[in-house]
Amino acid sequence: MSKKWISTTLASAALVLASSTALANPYEKYKDTTIVVSWPALSHFAKAETLIEEFTEETGIEVEVDALQYLKLRDRQILEMSKREGEYDVVSWVVMWKGEYVSKGLLTPLSQFFTNGALVDPQYDIDDIADAYLQNGGIVGGKKGYMPGKSGAMYGVPFGAETSIMAYRKDIFEEQGITPPATYDELRAAMAKLKEAGIPALTSRGKTGHQVTAGWLLHLAPLGGKIFDDEWNPVFNNAAGVEAAQVMREIAQTGPNGIASFGFGEAAAAFLGGDAAMYIDTLKIAAMARDPKLSKVDGKVGYALHPTGTRCGSETGGFAMGIPANSLNKEAAFLFVQYMTSKAGDKRMVELGGDPIRMSTYKHFQSEFDEYPVILDQLPCADADWRPLIPEWNELNIDVLGQALTQVITTDEPIQPIMDAAAEKARAIMEREGYYAWANYRK
Amino acid sequence: MAATDRTEVPARDYRVVTPYLFIAPAVLVMFAGLAFPVLQSLYLSFYDWKIGTPLKSAEYVGLDNYIRLISDPDVRESLWVTIRFGLWTISIEMFLGIALALLLEKPIRGASVFRTIFILPLMVSPVVVGLIWRYLFDARVGWVNYYLGTWFGIEPQVWLGDAELAFFAIVLTDIWQWTPFIFIIVIAGLQALPSEVLEASHVDGANWWQQIFLVKLPMISSILVIALLMRLIDVFRALEVMYIMTGGGPGRATELMSLHIYNRAFDAQLLGYASAIAVLLIAIVFVISISILLIGNPMKDKSDV
Amino acid sequence: MSNQLHSPWRVMAHYVCLCLLAIACLMPIWVMISTSFKDDIVIFDGKPIWFFFVPTMDNYEYIVGRGKFDRYLVNSVIVAVVSTFLTLLLGGLCAYALARAEFKGRRFVANATLLVRMVPPAVLAVPAFAMVIFLNVNNDLLVLIFFYTALNLPFAIWLLFGFYKQIPVELEEAAIVDGASPLQVFFRVLLPLMKSGYAVAGIFTFRIAWNEFILALLLTGRNTRTLPVAASGFLTDTGVEWGRIMAMGTLIVIPPLLFTFFAARQIIAGMTAGAVKG
Repeated sequence: MSKKWISTTLASAALVLASSTALANPYEKYKDTTIVVSWPALSHFAKAETLIEEFTEETGIEVEVDALQYLKLRDRQILEMSKREGEYDVVSWVVMWKGEYVSKGLLTPLSQFFTNGALVDPQYDIDDIADAYLQNGGIVGGKKGYMPGKSGAMYGVPFGAETSIMAYRKDIFEEQGITPPATYDELRAAMAKLKEAGIPALTSRGKTGHQVTAGWLLHLAPLGGKIFDDEWNPVFNNAAGVEAAQVMREIAQTGPNGIASFGFGEAAAAFLGGDAAMYIDTLKIAAMARDPKLSKVDGKVGYALHPTGTRCGSETGGFAMGIPANSLNKEAAFLFVQYMTSKAGDKRMVELGGDPIRMSTYKHFQSEFDEYPVILDQLPCADADWRPLIPEWNELNIDVLGQALTQVITTDEPIQPIMDAAAEKARAIMEREGYYAWANYRK
Repeated sequence: MAATDRTEVPARDYRVVTPYLFIAPAVLVMFAGLAFPVLQSLYLSFYDWKIGTPLKSAEYVGLDNYIRLISDPDVRESLWVTIRFGLWTISIEMFLGIALALLLEKPIRGASVFRTIFILPLMVSPVVVGLIWRYLFDARVGWVNYYLGTWFGIEPQVWLGDAELAFFAIVLTDIWQWTPFIFIIVIAGLQALPSEVLEASHVDGANWWQQIFLVKLPMISSILVIALLMRLIDVFRALEVMYIMTGGGPGRATELMSLHIYNRAFDAQLLGYASAIAVLLIAIVFVISISILLIGNPMKDKSDV
Repeated sequence: MSNQLHSPWRVMAHYVCLCLLAIACLMPIWVMISTSFKDDIVIFDGKPIWFFFVPTMDNYEYIVGRGKFDRYLVNSVIVAVVSTFLTLLLGGLCAYALARAEFKGRRFVANATLLVRMVPPAVLAVPAFAMVIFLNVNNDLLVLIFFYTALNLPFAIWLLFGFYKQIPVELEEAAIVDGASPLQVFFRVLLPLMKSGYAVAGIFTFRIAWNEFILALLLTGRNTRTLPVAASGFLTDTGVEWGRIMAMGTLIVIPPLLFTFFAARQIIAGMTAGAVKG
């Protein structure tokens, strides 16, 4: 026992000596550290596990992944991050949680690493990361609290971030004589036509709560709607909001069976399994369509821009990675985040079947994948203000909109009253949280 | 046992001190693990505590949560769903369980094998029950849709995505799991009936129906009432099966009270408000429990025997 | 009583009824077990196959071979066994005192025990969450063991109380006259007579602790998950992996099923104790 102890002490002493005399590389100091990463059990992240192995091999930093169903991540992460010592060194959040995490003081600002010359890679080139992704997933502060601006700060780096595009079945469209819809009018006509031909048209998420709201948001912005005006008054019950809800209802009526029970996975599976002719949602669909384990439609899929209504707009969402305030291995965690999102790492992710976050990567592969030119065209439309990423969004998203929109897609009741009632509830929440206090004070 | 020396008190003190030493550990655990959380729910229901922030920083909001509770249509809906769920499941389970028990009460060969099979559904973990039935009701690969389609030509239904169908699905699942419970309790009650009474009524010329409705059922009525109330409490405790099958959706169509509290607390993150709903739930459950105690307190009865 | 039994038709009808019921009980369980041995192609084909398919162990190999199945299994076993042991120990002592001794507050303790038995687990969720953060507990399994013991104690006390009442007091009195201490009486005289009572209480306690989901979901982390929580993890966003879920379900159900087959009579005794004996 004691002999072993002496030998390990000696060995580690030797190691310390060796490393202090010659810092062979920036990773040396953190060799044999184990960091724990919490992220979703989604395709992109499953592919990233290979890159993690390469990271460990190159740096000697061990990584343990805890992959969970993505909507279950938040409870787990918040519980761990509220403890004095949490389990996680890197957490990956859905963009809508960032405001909440930061407002509760659970994350480490990344500036403290980006100012550390020993850690930051001079070739990292943060400006190469798609602007909409970085702003949407990583920046907290600014005018509305969740947008870039002088008061904003960076807490996360996008990884598994996305915008929305349209995917469609080339074979079905050709057979039915439909051209890929560029506007919402054309989209609705195509849906009706496909329904008439007995082909389920557009798949969508529709499960109560976050999922059905996410489905509806895809149509809200292009149709000219918004959740709040600049004074935080709910305006999603205006004409554009109601029209978006109407579109959701039509989608549920003309789409594959079961939209009201579809989460992200089921909605994608319906398209990948050949049960739907169109998919408008995350660009992740393209990589999934190429994966023979997930898809029966490889080679039959075409891509187009997210249809426009009164304006061009596409989703910003997906995930970003950051470092909990209570992590004990922050530097190693930063090295991990940096490695995964570096230029080389980003390219490697594409080779492994994941999705990139960097403009250089999109350009590099644009002749290789059908969807990349589309994404490059789409990104300028990507709306970083897609949804209000305030801490209250969660309750609005799940409890208010998530319930109202279920009513929209599962019943035939008039839409306007449903949305009006939801807007009333939203106003009550904002009132309760004091968003109108300044306006009332000024009056 | 380390406590041995401590409890070696003179025989005279035996009845004075020892009982307290014997009950103390269990009482402590039950207080800390059950009673204290109930009190804490009451305490938290006066605060607006946000998940992920220190408890100390929670804001005291007085009766706000309760005022909100009274006028909250979602809570009312969930209460109504729970009551409807209870009415459907319990009445069908009681009917089926009692009918089957009356039909099958005669002791026959192989009864023990059958009884073993009948308690299987009760032993399966609720999570697993939810997973099995979620598979059976799946819109794309579920067996229910397949057989309805091939036998009756019914179009595939989205069982768990339609309010009425999802409610039906969770009712059916509950009936599958809990009818055997009623069956076994009733059959045990029937077989414990004194045979002289039954024979006497037989001699008096009572026919089969009369025997059931005038003799047997009245004699086991207290058992039936207790079984019913126990099931009623279970309805207010239930959440795992629905959590797995539907998550409470679509809308709040299958969101029973317990699940509603859980969803409100951890999905919507309203810990304080969820605590207020929890207090309501506790109040309901305690009223039912006290009626059970009044009807038949097992400990009181036995100590009097 | 007996004339009806002699009619062969009645007997036959009786058996047919029982068989139908048995099939209704078994069918979903068989669906789970059979699906766990099917590969995805058979499952996602959508056509139910009851018996004749080429069985595969892929699902089991996947769940056992990957991730932390062994750890989760050990967690489940630890939590269930330790909380069962604690419940029986503490509950047995308490039930013994309630059944045998007259003391001030006895009635109150008995009634309060029955009352807290009804506390819905969902009510415990928020306070348990608060407790973990407030006390900064870093051992999730300990927390689970604590709450499962608390949840199980009332029923165990209730059940054991009934069993103690059936043992004649004279046995203990004789032992006390012989100079045995209360604990000696408890462990040497009563315990051997209480075997079946403890078996019943143990089965019920183990079953609850083994199956519990919602508190475990909330309170366990990446190394401390129990099997039901791990099973729910297969409901992923990239599609529901039915084969693996059913394999996990089958593994979870094994211990309760074994109990059922070997101790059906005790289970029925426990189930009916509440309603029938009361």
